[in-house]
Amino acid sequence: MDTLLLQIGNGLIIGSIYALVALGINVIWSIADVPDFSQGAIFVVSAYISYFAVTLAKIPYVLALVLGMCVGSFMAFIFERFLYRRWRGAGRVQLLCAIALFFLWTNVVNALWTAKAKMFPAYLKGSMFGFSYMRIAVVVVAAILFVLVYLFIMKTKIGKAIRAASQESEAAQVLGININTVNSVVFMLGGALSGAAGVLVSPLYAIFPTMGDLPLLKALVVVILGGFGTVGGVLICGLGLGVLETLGAGYLSSAYQHGYAFVILIIVLTFLPKGLFGKV
Amino acid sequence: MFVASRIAIAVSIIILIFIPQFASNYVIYVVILAMLFAILTASYDLLTGYTGPLSFCHAAFYGLGAYTSALLTLRTGMSFWQAFPITGIWVFLFAAAVGYPALKIRGHYFAVTTFFFGHFVYLFLLNSRKLTNGPLGLRGIRPPDSILGIDFSSITASYYLVLFFGVLIVGFLHLLVKSRIGRSLVSIRENEDLAESIGINTSFYKVLAFSISAGLAGLAGSLFAHFFRFLHPTDFAWMISEMIVIMALVGGLGTLFGPIIGAGVVKFFLELVRPAPELRFILLSIMLILVLLFEPKGLVGIIRRIRGEK
Amino acid sequence: MKKLPKLLLVIVLVGAMVVLGLSSSTLAADPKVIKIGYTAPFTGAGAEYGTNGWRGIQLALEEVNKKGITIKGEPYKIEIIRYDSICTPTEAVANVRKLAMEDKVVAILGDHCSSCCMAIAPLCDEFKIPAVTIECAADSVTKPGHEFYFRMRPSMGLMAPLGIPRIVKIFNPKTAGFININDDYGHSFRDSFKAELAKHGVETVVEEDFERGTTDFTVYLTKIKRVKPDVAFYVGAISEGALIVKQAREIGVTDQTALFGAEEMAEMELLSLAGAEAIEGTYALALWGSVDPAFAKRVMDRFNAPMHYAIIFGYDALHVVAKAIESAQSLDPVKIKDALKKTDYQGLEGHVKFESFEGYKNQGRFVPSIVKWVSGQRTVVE
Repeated sequence: MDTLLLQIGNGLIIGSIYALVALGINVIWSIADVPDFSQGAIFVVSAYISYFAVTLAKIPYVLALVLGMCVGSFMAFIFERFLYRRWRGAGRVQLLCAIALFFLWTNVVNALWTAKAKMFPAYLKGSMFGFSYMRIAVVVVAAILFVLVYLFIMKTKIGKAIRAASQESEAAQVLGININTVNSVVFMLGGALSGAAGVLVSPLYAIFPTMGDLPLLKALVVVILGGFGTVGGVLICGLGLGVLETLGAGYLSSAYQHGYAFVILIIVLTFLPKGLFGKV
Repeated sequence: MFVASRIAIAVSIIILIFIPQFASNYVIYVVILAMLFAILTASYDLLTGYTGPLSFCHAAFYGLGAYTSALLTLRTGMSFWQAFPITGIWVFLFAAAVGYPALKIRGHYFAVTTFFFGHFVYLFLLNSRKLTNGPLGLRGIRPPDSILGIDFSSITASYYLVLFFGVLIVGFLHLLVKSRIGRSLVSIRENEDLAESIGINTSFYKVLAFSISAGLAGLAGSLFAHFFRFLHPTDFAWMISEMIVIMALVGGLGTLFGPIIGAGVVKFFLELVRPAPELRFILLSIMLILVLLFEPKGLVGIIRRIRGEK
Repeated sequence: MKKLPKLLLVIVLVGAMVVLGLSSSTLAADPKVIKIGYTAPFTGAGAEYGTNGWRGIQLALEEVNKKGITIKGEPYKIEIIRYDSICTPTEAVANVRKLAMEDKVVAILGDHCSSCCMAIAPLCDEFKIPAVTIECAADSVTKPGHEFYFRMRPSMGLMAPLGIPRIVKIFNPKTAGFININDDYGHSFRDSFKAELAKHGVETVVEEDFERGTTDFTVYLTKIKRVKPDVAFYVGAISEGALIVKQAREIGVTDQTALFGAEEMAEMELLSLAGAEAIEGTYALALWGSVDPAFAKRVMDRFNAPMHYAIIFGYDALHVVAKAIESAQSLDPVKIKDALKKTDYQGLEGHVKFESFEGYKNQGRFVPSIVKWVSGQRTVVE
């Protein structure tokens, strides 16, 4: 019983990271219609840069988190402004460009800083109910970011524009919403979230060039499962996937830990082609 | 088709026939791999280029074909010549069974789902140790049995075998896309709802295109298995699927010959930059972005532009 | 104006390609150069191995070239041509074919991944070019073996009978568990260790596979915690091992279960990654006991990196090949192969000799050490 609760708790921690990356990808996907694989690269680069900021420049961890988010949103802004924007409407080209960017940056990181793993120094010590404070911090920060994003989308003017654009981009344009601005904002938001996720997990795990692969893939599954444009859907699916994966690996077969996502995806899509929370 | 293109095809086939006469063992090996990838990209083009759905799991069918053929010959003592067609049919049927529900998923959803399907097949090959010997790799695969006095164990013979089947498969694809079926596929790509409304059974044709392209990838896998004679799941991991997509795109989707050119160009490029181990894939991704920037239609688009078409 | 961003982008990208291309092109070869090939993973998930092996080779290369190799009175220098295998058999085979046919190397070093080694070993026989692998732990690399393929490190099947009796003596376990990476290396380790443990009456009660690149091991560790084996073996790359140890400590696995790591877990890097506290009291099988501190310092000064067995094996491998070339007094690969068979070289760690025994061919006999981490120190137990 004790171990079951531990498994579920760890599943929630992993799931909150999936949800965080997925939220950014979800917002981008629903506005710009591109599954942005380059978020995986942003995840990695932000983690590296904040690692160097903490170990070399000795800045506090909280600032490193902010720095990671800034780096992430800057990268996403550049990608959108100079690349994705050219092919708006041509989703396939954008998708391929996203994959090329993901590929490019993973290898750039490998060439610059070698494949050798790096580890963040621990910034919090101690644990509670069998979970270290650092793990709990991940969930807390993720929760705060989720609330902030929710408020941003629901309460601010630009948030309303984003919601309008995700419903009907042409209509939004008629209503005088600048689609370029909305796109830039959305990508920066997504980049910031991926950057935050990268910095959040690196003290728990390790930093290495391919660290973004699995979170990215899982986040894509979460986005599809959750359907578009619902912050709550992403949250529930992210956490749910995390828990199902840990339980599957813990009680069925560990070798397929990263295959369960696919099985769940197929089952859900067969019965609900629009995802669990998708609107029509 | 223009006379110029016909001449170009004839010349390239002649060059391909004569390559083993003067090239080194290494060049022959690379060209064999390039030809296998050309089969893969050409068959991939049938689905993604002509019919529309973007797929990221082509290497999975390649791997299934390779393992099926190898296991058939190893476990049942079948010869390559029996295993080869059985592999093609089996992968075709398997893809039809998978494709029927999967192709109901539309747009990027389908793309991402195939991505995971590919990874799942990879995990299956890795973890079914009793069947595939998993991460230790499958060894001892026999070369195709000799027929008409030709011994297929040498690399040159493998080369001609792959070239022969490559030309056959590409020829088949060419006829297919020019046929009524091909026109139906293109109409699905252009506008699925419209195609449905004029009486084309879109879901049937989509599954057909998916299964044919998978079956041909399975044949390529069979050729690979009996040429390379050592199978390991990493040769069919998602990286390889990505590579197929990149090659097809660099060449130009929806043109059949574009992806074939793409397979050759990308393979050649990767060999060219082999002396720069850490930088190869950086250079490849930069090349991909450059192609996208200049001409999203790929090399074929550039050729057409030079010739003043469209 | 609208064209400007695109133009800039193109200039940047093309510029990057040219610079990267130029920086990588090798200089024109001196006529008195001996070419040796090196195939290893430099990108992808296995890149860590290639990076370390290359470090050791570079250090040996400096020494060899400073002295020069004299063949029939003429001085030669060694040049290494290295290609990336990404741990993929087709790439490794392409590397070997290119090295043999285009670059005309006289010997080859590598690969690091067993799958690649198995694919290239028959080719070395075909091309009659000797190769010395830097790592590759699977038994089948040298069993039944190939005439031209050599291995210094022990295979898993050889390590288990050497290691297990000592392990049994230390822990006196009744039950054992495994957390291992789901690849050729992890499975070779588990299969041979499990079989050897069974001979000593130790039952394996839990087996967990993880995929390369996994970062969260709590699932597996929680299972271990539930089953409570007396000793748990963890097998993978250093970064994975460091995470396993850290997370095991976090959820309290170490209270009932002793952790015993594979070769990688005896590396100095584990200390810097996981921290002294986390690894305190854990054991590991080591491919090096106490290496010369001067060499460790050289590695640190040159690469700012801690000692690693791939550095040692890379270093020794090049020295072994250089010695073989010198004693063969020829650049004929077949003669070099014959000289390699007679290798009798005192390496940094252990004596290198290639022998044929128990079904193995061209296999080094090498006795692993057992290491215990005590208050941030790597102490050799035996």
